[in-house]
Amino acid sequence: MLSLNKIAKCLLSNSRTFQTSAVLKHDTMFNHRDTKEDNLDIKFEFSDENKKRIDAILAIYPEGHKRAAMIPLLDLAQRQHGWLPISAMHKVADVLDLPKMRVYEVATFYTMFMRKPTGKYHLQVCTTTPCWLRGSDDVISCLKKKLDIGVGETSKDGQWTLSEVECLGACVNAPMMQVNDDYFEDLTTKDVESIIDDLKNGKTPTPGPRSSRYASEPMDGLTSLKEEPYGPGFKVRPDL
Amino acid sequence: MFRTTLQRTVPCIRLVVAPGQFRLNSNAPAPPSKLEVFIDDKKVLVDPGTTVLQAAALAGVEIPRFCYHERLAVAGNCRMCLVEVERSPKPVAACAMPVMNGWKIKTNSELTRKAREGVMEFLLMNHPLDCPICDQGGECDLQDQSMAFGSDRSRFVDIDYSGKRAVEDKDIGPLVKTIMTRCIHCTRCIRFASEVAGVDDLGTTGRGSDMQVGTYIEKMFLSELSGNVIDLCPVGALTSKPYSFSARPWETRKTDSVDVLDALGSNIVVSTRAGDVMRILPRLNEDINEEWLSDKSRFSYDGLKRQRLITPLVKDNKGNLVPVEWEDALVATSRALINANGNIVGVSGGLSDAESMIALKDLLNRLGSEQLYTEEPFPMTGSGTDFRSSYILNSSISGLEQADLVLLIGTNPRYEAPLLNTRIRKSYVHNDLEIALLGPKVDLSYDYEYLGESPAILKDLAEKRHAFYAKLSKAKRPVIILGAQQFEREDGAILLAQAQQLSQELNKNADKGWKILNVLQQVAGQVAALDLGYKPYNNLPAAKVLYLLGADNESLTKCKPAGTTVIYQGHHGDAGAAIADIVLPGAAYTEKQATYVNTEGRAQQTLMAVQPPGMARSDWKIIRAISEFVGVKLPYDTLNEVRDRLTDVCPSMTRYGDLEPANYLVQASDLAKDLSSQTVSTPLNVKQITLEDFYMTDSISRSSPTMAKCIQAVRKQKESKYYESRA
Amino acid sequence: MNNIFPFNKFITGFNIIKANGGPLNAFKKLFRHDELKIGTLVGTDEMGNRYYENNTYFYGRNRWVEYNDQVYLDYDASQITAEWYGWIHYKTDLLPYNDPNRPKYKWMAKHTENETGTERQYVPYSTMPPKIQAWVPPNKN
Repeated sequence: MLSLNKIAKCLLSNSRTFQTSAVLKHDTMFNHRDTKEDNLDIKFEFSDENKKRIDAILAIYPEGHKRAAMIPLLDLAQRQHGWLPISAMHKVADVLDLPKMRVYEVATFYTMFMRKPTGKYHLQVCTTTPCWLRGSDDVISCLKKKLDIGVGETSKDGQWTLSEVECLGACVNAPMMQVNDDYFEDLTTKDVESIIDDLKNGKTPTPGPRSSRYASEPMDGLTSLKEEPYGPGFKVRPDL
Repeated sequence: MFRTTLQRTVPCIRLVVAPGQFRLNSNAPAPPSKLEVFIDDKKVLVDPGTTVLQAAALAGVEIPRFCYHERLAVAGNCRMCLVEVERSPKPVAACAMPVMNGWKIKTNSELTRKAREGVMEFLLMNHPLDCPICDQGGECDLQDQSMAFGSDRSRFVDIDYSGKRAVEDKDIGPLVKTIMTRCIHCTRCIRFASEVAGVDDLGTTGRGSDMQVGTYIEKMFLSELSGNVIDLCPVGALTSKPYSFSARPWETRKTDSVDVLDALGSNIVVSTRAGDVMRILPRLNEDINEEWLSDKSRFSYDGLKRQRLITPLVKDNKGNLVPVEWEDALVATSRALINANGNIVGVSGGLSDAESMIALKDLLNRLGSEQLYTEEPFPMTGSGTDFRSSYILNSSISGLEQADLVLLIGTNPRYEAPLLNTRIRKSYVHNDLEIALLGPKVDLSYDYEYLGESPAILKDLAEKRHAFYAKLSKAKRPVIILGAQQFEREDGAILLAQAQQLSQELNKNADKGWKILNVLQQVAGQVAALDLGYKPYNNLPAAKVLYLLGADNESLTKCKPAGTTVIYQGHHGDAGAAIADIVLPGAAYTEKQATYVNTEGRAQQTLMAVQPPGMARSDWKIIRAISEFVGVKLPYDTLNEVRDRLTDVCPSMTRYGDLEPANYLVQASDLAKDLSSQTVSTPLNVKQITLEDFYMTDSISRSSPTMAKCIQAVRKQKESKYYESRA
Repeated sequence: MNNIFPFNKFITGFNIIKANGGPLNAFKKLFRHDELKIGTLVGTDEMGNRYYENNTYFYGRNRWVEYNDQVYLDYDASQITAEWYGWIHYKTDLLPYNDPNRPKYKWMAKHTENETGTERQYVPYSTMPPKIQAWVPPNKN
């Protein structure tokens, strides 16, 4: 019976696979392929406002170390364009007078540089253990249903991109998600829906915890440090 | 970009890479006393800043490494060189760690061995075990070191779940084949491209286990030195495309030889199997090519198998060249030579060796002709070729590392002499060398001050009128490199005279004994020809017999004078053979033991790696045979006797490997003084401006299919949107 | 009587010479074949070879062939055609024209003798491209 099982397995799977290869662990590629949205014919130019910012950024770094401004400039380009197309990387290389490869290296290293078209609102939901225990799965499924997109996808109207990310450092207020630069914490599905509705209607939802908390204090009031702060000299030898 | 970052971000880089390799700036701080370290309880005294790995090398202990390379910056990312240092909690990376006084380094301890075994296990985890089909097999660092330092069994069982990492192969041109799954991320190729070749096309993209080495965009690695990444790659990720699947290193026979496809005479190893040249590799020579080799020298060996002359050919009564036996060809040759009554002109080509040139000279002299020319021009006014210093690279190739200012006139060293250019670039990166260029604007792979392309600027400089003269005159060790192809111009003599005058002016302020004027020759045979008394020709005199010794020059072969019998002796059917009446098949540089003198005046010899094909013979033997048929037997029967004759004519020519310096720079300048006041107006031009001009320059590379593919690839790349011209 | 004077051997010899067409023809045959035998002609093949049988000779010598006279001394065992091969090598006792099981097809090739040593012999040739490609001079006419 065991051998029959083996044969069946062999026939069902591709019999030529003597060896398997690792699946890609990232949802992005580390090679550039020209696409409709991302190719050299689409020009990128910094806006006048950003040009002033570039001057200010470059002024921070001493002569000979201007390449240190690469990450701020890439970030600037990404903020201006919504994501980071190849022509923006080339522009940054031109500004810094660096070989283009050095810019590609940095832009591909950091996961926060989006090299694929990204929606106006980039929703990053933390799914690391604390958030997951506190219900990040519900947040994700709620978003999927509401926006009709999967994880790693962008909606057709180019407004929303949903990503699963690792810990964003707001574990005390789990579950949480980040919309562009703002953290929304202590989420329930209702909160998620209202945030999306607000964004859809052009309103700005208030960032921060959605519960009654101000920050990361305990939900039911303080449990420690409740007494008056001790003055100087507390438990200190009198002769000192 | 590399220059500033390397120096400023890694201040210790010079010390780390320096000892024995780079000559330091004179203003570097004097090293304090030596440090005492113990390698496996053996005491060695080293300079401060020496790394553990170098100290171990001094003690005779070789530490395994993948990413570390003497001629590249230290990366420290392969971790193979981990060694135990006493009282250090962790093993340290020997390649990047400078030694401290009194350190006790254990290169063979239990901890060290365990560390190496662990690193090796991690490297092999994502390395395909395809050694049997890998071209690196047999000369693979990973193979060798896993035998020496790896574990004897595998713990890798992940074959069913996630398997090994697989990486897409990159297309980086017709020379380098990539199998990126084999890559172990040592980044040697990236560092080579960035530091030595000056082409920042390679890099790492992504992070973690998804990191890959590549170009990110689809782009070819367009460099004249791209073949060197094949040698540098410690695994089989980068292998040679023309050589792929053709031979194994242990079945080839290696012959030390000298390259003749440019004037530098790079040292090479010719690998042969069954009388077939399989590949050409560089051979270490610190004075010439270090351990690099240009792509033309490395890959045009397949040109040695195409378009060859393998039988003597004589024209029949219909005017067609037909194959004949040697005897018939020699009879026909001797008849033509005797009938010419001394009215014979001999022209030697760029790939001719010294032995055949002296034999031809002796033969023609005995037949009453003094008309022996080289196909490359050189001005005969002024001192002409009387002083050796006027036509060689006086400051020597390795001497360029001591220079503090280089003025290039009418030359593009990047393509005319790629390894001379890497020396200049090395100095540019490490020694703050300043470079200025007079001639057409080209991409030299480093920054330079562009002076213009008008030759009048040279006159201005010589007469101290130009703004750049201030900088030049301050230089302690300036170097002027004049491209020999400028002598093809009618006013080449004036340019040489002005360059001579300028160098005399600069000499006043320069270090004593420092030679300023250099001529960069274009072909391997020119210096030897001029040394032996061949004259450069301007207008070829009419003669009854024209004897072409491998001369394929276009200006020579274009206008064949009527009524002249042309005898062509050479190895390739090119322009010269096409106009010939008698063709005598000679041997190419891999097929004969022959002497060549490189552009700095260093005599070197090639050795016979394979037999000449068919009925072809060593060139000097053919001429010796002709002499017997003509009736003026040359007095040498063996190679040693020819070399004795060479020694009589030019003693330096048989002192192989030695650099023969030349003097009389002042006298040469004085003799040409009246010329330097003349003005030249035609702008300077060079033949090899872009990479596609580089690949085919002589009869061997012209018949090489690989070189043709390279040109196609460059043209294709130029059409790509991602192509950027840096000129 | 025969022990003293072998009359029967003379008679046999005489008969053999007679069967072979007289002393001159017998001498010619002996010169060609180094052997003179008497037997019944059982058949002739398309090459013109004649096949004989005489079972008074012991097994192994009782079947023989006389090659076509035209080949004279250049006879060769490979001139025996395929259909007679079996009979003369004792693979079968049935003569080819008596054998009912012999298939005959249109596509059967005509018998050829071994051509080794002749002009039509097969010479193996290299299928590899030459290592060195020679220059071909431009032809003017």
